[in-house]
Amino acid sequence: MKWSAFLPLFLLPAAFAATKDKDAVREQLIDLAAKGNGLIKLDSKTFDLLTLPSRDWSASIQFTALDRRRRCAPCKEFDPSWNAVAKAWSTAPKEHRDTHFFGTLDFDEGQTVFQKLGLASAPLVYVYPAAEGPRQLPNGKTAPSKYDFSNGFEAEPLANHLSSHTPIPIPYRAPIDWARWATFISGILSLVLTLRFISPILQSRWTWAAITVLTSLTMTGGFMFTRIRGTPYTGPDGSWIAGGYQNQYGQEVQVVALIYGTLSFAFLMLTVIVPYQSSASRQRMQVYLWSAVIMLIYSVLVTIFRLKNRGYPFKLLL
Amino acid sequence: MSTAYPLPTNLSTTTVTNTASLLRIVALGLISAAAIASRLFAVINFESIIHEFDPWFNYRATRVLASQGFYEFWNWFDPTAWYPLGRVVGGTVYPGLMATSGVIYNFLHAFHLPVDIRNICVLLAPGFSALTAWATYMFTKEMKDESAGLLAAAFIGIVPGYISRSVAGSYDNEAIAIFLLMFTFYCWIKALKTGSALFGTLAAVFYFYMVAAWGGYAFITNMIPVHALTLMLMGRFSSRLYVAYCSWYAIGTLSSMQVPFVGFQPVRTSEHMGALGVFGLLQIVAFAQLARSHLSSKQFQNLLTVSVVAMGVVGTFGFIALTYMGWIAPWTGRFYSLWDTGYAKKYIPIIASVSEHQPTAWPSFFMDLQLLIFLFPAGVILCFRELRDEHVFVIIYSVVASYFAGVMVRLMLTLTPVVCVSSAVAFSSLIDTYLDPTQPEGEEESEADSSNGTNTAATPSKKEKAKKPAASTSALNDIVTAATSQSSSKSKSKGIWGLDTRLIVIVNAIGMLSFFVFHCTWVTANAYSSPSVVLASTNPDGSQHIIDDFREAYYWLRQNTPQDAVVMSWWDYGYQIAGMADRPTLVDNNTWNNSKSHIATVGKAMSSSEEVAYPILRKHDVDYVLVIFGGLLGYSGDDINKFLWMVRIAQGVWPDEIQEPNYFTPQGEYRVDDRASSAMKNSLMYKMSYYRFAELFGGNNAMDRVRQQTMPKVGPTLDYLDEAFTSENWIVRIYQVRKEDLLGRDLKSANAFAQGKKKKKSKPVSRRKAIPV
Amino acid sequence: MSSSNSSPSAQSTSPQSPILSLWKAYTQNTSDRLKFIDTFLVFLMASGVIQFLYCVLVTNFPFNAFLAGFASTVGQFVLTASLRSQVNPENRSEFKEVSPERAFADFAIGSIVLHFFVFNFLG
Repeated sequence: MKWSAFLPLFLLPAAFAATKDKDAVREQLIDLAAKGNGLIKLDSKTFDLLTLPSRDWSASIQFTALDRRRRCAPCKEFDPSWNAVAKAWSTAPKEHRDTHFFGTLDFDEGQTVFQKLGLASAPLVYVYPAAEGPRQLPNGKTAPSKYDFSNGFEAEPLANHLSSHTPIPIPYRAPIDWARWATFISGILSLVLTLRFISPILQSRWTWAAITVLTSLTMTGGFMFTRIRGTPYTGPDGSWIAGGYQNQYGQEVQVVALIYGTLSFAFLMLTVIVPYQSSASRQRMQVYLWSAVIMLIYSVLVTIFRLKNRGYPFKLLL
Repeated sequence: MSTAYPLPTNLSTTTVTNTASLLRIVALGLISAAAIASRLFAVINFESIIHEFDPWFNYRATRVLASQGFYEFWNWFDPTAWYPLGRVVGGTVYPGLMATSGVIYNFLHAFHLPVDIRNICVLLAPGFSALTAWATYMFTKEMKDESAGLLAAAFIGIVPGYISRSVAGSYDNEAIAIFLLMFTFYCWIKALKTGSALFGTLAAVFYFYMVAAWGGYAFITNMIPVHALTLMLMGRFSSRLYVAYCSWYAIGTLSSMQVPFVGFQPVRTSEHMGALGVFGLLQIVAFAQLARSHLSSKQFQNLLTVSVVAMGVVGTFGFIALTYMGWIAPWTGRFYSLWDTGYAKKYIPIIASVSEHQPTAWPSFFMDLQLLIFLFPAGVILCFRELRDEHVFVIIYSVVASYFAGVMVRLMLTLTPVVCVSSAVAFSSLIDTYLDPTQPEGEEESEADSSNGTNTAATPSKKEKAKKPAASTSALNDIVTAATSQSSSKSKSKGIWGLDTRLIVIVNAIGMLSFFVFHCTWVTANAYSSPSVVLASTNPDGSQHIIDDFREAYYWLRQNTPQDAVVMSWWDYGYQIAGMADRPTLVDNNTWNNSKSHIATVGKAMSSSEEVAYPILRKHDVDYVLVIFGGLLGYSGDDINKFLWMVRIAQGVWPDEIQEPNYFTPQGEYRVDDRASSAMKNSLMYKMSYYRFAELFGGNNAMDRVRQQTMPKVGPTLDYLDEAFTSENWIVRIYQVRKEDLLGRDLKSANAFAQGKKKKKSKPVSRRKAIPV
Repeated sequence: MSSSNSSPSAQSTSPQSPILSLWKAYTQNTSDRLKFIDTFLVFLMASGVIQFLYCVLVTNFPFNAFLAGFASTVGQFVLTASLRSQVNPENRSEFKEVSPERAFADFAIGSIVLHFFVFNFLG
């Protein structure tokens, strides 16, 4: 391991630095941060240095488990955001930069720390405020505060949150998403190029009718509910219908929209197509067919609805 | 021409038309009666009482208006709301609703009819629902014909999607707004069809009324421009469009700025800029058309087109530049959250916390609209068949409204009218086809292929009733005529053979309609007629048991506390406390102003420990704290279930002190029993909810019937608050905040002091009152 | 309306003949009644431009007064323009239900409502 070779070299100064000279510790931390692109790779020893009880700097520390054996998918997802914010901080002016440090402690490097702090999950972000000196909090709090991941793993909210703990806001700027812009522009270009060929389609009212009807069918099938709530396509046990009136799975959108669409279609057939039939017997057959379809599908719909709303007293054929 | 069933031949055309119009009036009258009657379940089941939360404020404001006159109301400063800030009511309400009731009140009193203002408020919504039915009739008549109009009126009269916001007692802005919405749209369509500035002006006047009545006026502000723009893009610019739009916009915008709460927004915010942009575009296009009519040089026309496009682009960039310069305010969070659905939860949790702002699952759609929901696409397709200017409006409306209704349960209300209109068009087309007595000519006619069949209807205009074939036979009633007029101009034979086919479709249709009526009645009676101030449960013998805890507690406050005692509760109950208990509140349901930190303060006090909360309470002069607790009765809308929102809102302002994950168990469960997290157990809300709850069960395990969890034997203790009142079923619990000086010593020192004090003080607390069970 | 004003000026780089011929066609083909209305339109446009320039260059201090004045000219302009298109014989086919007399009545009612709000807004 790289670390084991490196550790004894500064273990000695670190030992008395912790008790005597915190300026020396800070110099060390600055060095480490400069080496790691603004981010200090911690182990249990350097963790103690960084969170020195007499520190006059503040620190944000990410606890993570990036090793593949740990199977921590969120850790991998969050790590790039963390690195980006730490890197952004390294571009801050030196007099501010050196009063706040970013560190990452991997589980495999500092199991003792994890045990000591009683951490059972990862990733976690703790912010240690300065314990002494001018940057000490007004209420004298020295205990770390935890970053809440309710805003997701993106870098932007992280930078916003941490900025309230750093002397100046973190100069983080979201990288420009070139791929997205490229797709956007090429999409527009291709649209313009094909406009000549597809303009008959665009000018046909039935194209728009299809778009309109499909949109309203998906919307009334509860598509936005599944989008916003992020409900799964089916239940964990493979059931496609979610229990409860105010809940639904992704597959229900399809089924319900299909039912609505079929019923709508049957009505349209009866209204629009059937009267133009040329033979009486064929017409009669179609009338009976579509009426039966309406009755049957409607009964199915009511039955499904009864599954969702147990108190519903009505039912049709089924 | 053969007919499927015999028709009376000795009727003159005038008799038929007269009878038809008489029948229409009778039908409309019956529909209005049904619309009003079905909304009275709430009054019959309970009593004539104002419902829910917001209506209580509207009612209180209306009382001020009725008793002290309009000018007093306009200048009313309410010091009891948002203590200690107060609220300038005149400038922060949409006064249309109160003004309407005030006018009705004064009108009735001018005739010496001493009607109580409360009854006017309770019955306003049902009354306006009858008007809505009429407006929908007029609107649908423009889309198809009178029979479709009657169907649409009947649909909107009883459809639960609209009843949900307009039962008797639901005295809210939406009660009158839907009528105004439909009537404004009707005037707009009429103006567009006839090209009359009169209807444009009418649309503007009703738009003004709408602006004065409901914040949802922005829907009209954007719907009409989108319609106009679409028509222009379709190459359907006409002078009628110019007249209709310009007269509406010029007068409507100016008049909307008269409402103080709206102020200069119509010229300064992005929501209104679309309307302005379309207005400008129309001027350019109209001028270009005029120049074109005078000159037909090809080269000049090209130049004209280019300059119109160029000016459109320049105008758009101008808007963007003005937005960046800050002269035009960008989209407000409320509107923005409609597009970016994750926005509200992140940045405006207060809006996201309201239950009616949640997305809609499909059962809600079916519950609220039932069969209309699947007739609706069929109606849209029929609109596409004809595609006159007004049909474009219905099509745009249907797409936009179904998206909005999917994003927010509350906006189901705007979807409902268009669903009624569209499905009425579909349903009446079906009935027209199968009631029409004429049979096709013969079987040897060349077969009609379906693709041809769908297109034929686009051409013939239906207005000319004279076109209908064999006036004497088909003059049975108006309902029949619409469908037949199409076939006359075409050689293609169209119609239905035989009686049995007609019978099965009509019987089927009538069956579905009656099912719809049963459904609507059931939903209205069971789901939408609860005042939520008074609850009802069923006794084992089936009789109704009224649970009146809320009023019991509010009247206790009114009778037993000093007039200026400040009550803290979660904001849901602010209006009710002001309306029923008449006490100052810290926060109330008026969440749109920027007192976000105020609500967060309450959230913080509720979610922190007693020691942290106490200084907050003292700083805000809080005398009483009120919590809603449903654990004993199984009332699920209580504060513990809303608690996470308090935490979230507080976290938005104090992210270091309040953190949502702390209120969950390590396994990520939301629990209130032994395994609840320590932050949860120490929070003021938890303590106030479960204080002495365990004692109620004797030695047995206390059971929270909402969360279905067994409570610990030893309940929480309170050091800084005294229990003052608990209602019959424990739904409302009121605590009094202890004063420092009562203790006689310095309370500020520390916990040790509080511990010592507690031993002394706990005796009188337990002795003082017997807890009702 | 400032935009419709700028439309011809955008053409000024092009050869003068289209503008001239447009003017010629206009003077020849337009009835005196419409020309009278057009004069009023030009007056309103000039009034609106002056108010706008005043607002931009000098002050917009009583903003509601400016808005009232400006909206009254714009509103009157579009109402008059509507009247113009309604009474224009070329548009007869479009306005089947609006006779010239009805058009004038509409115009009068619209103007009254407009100026009612203008008056209320002047503050």
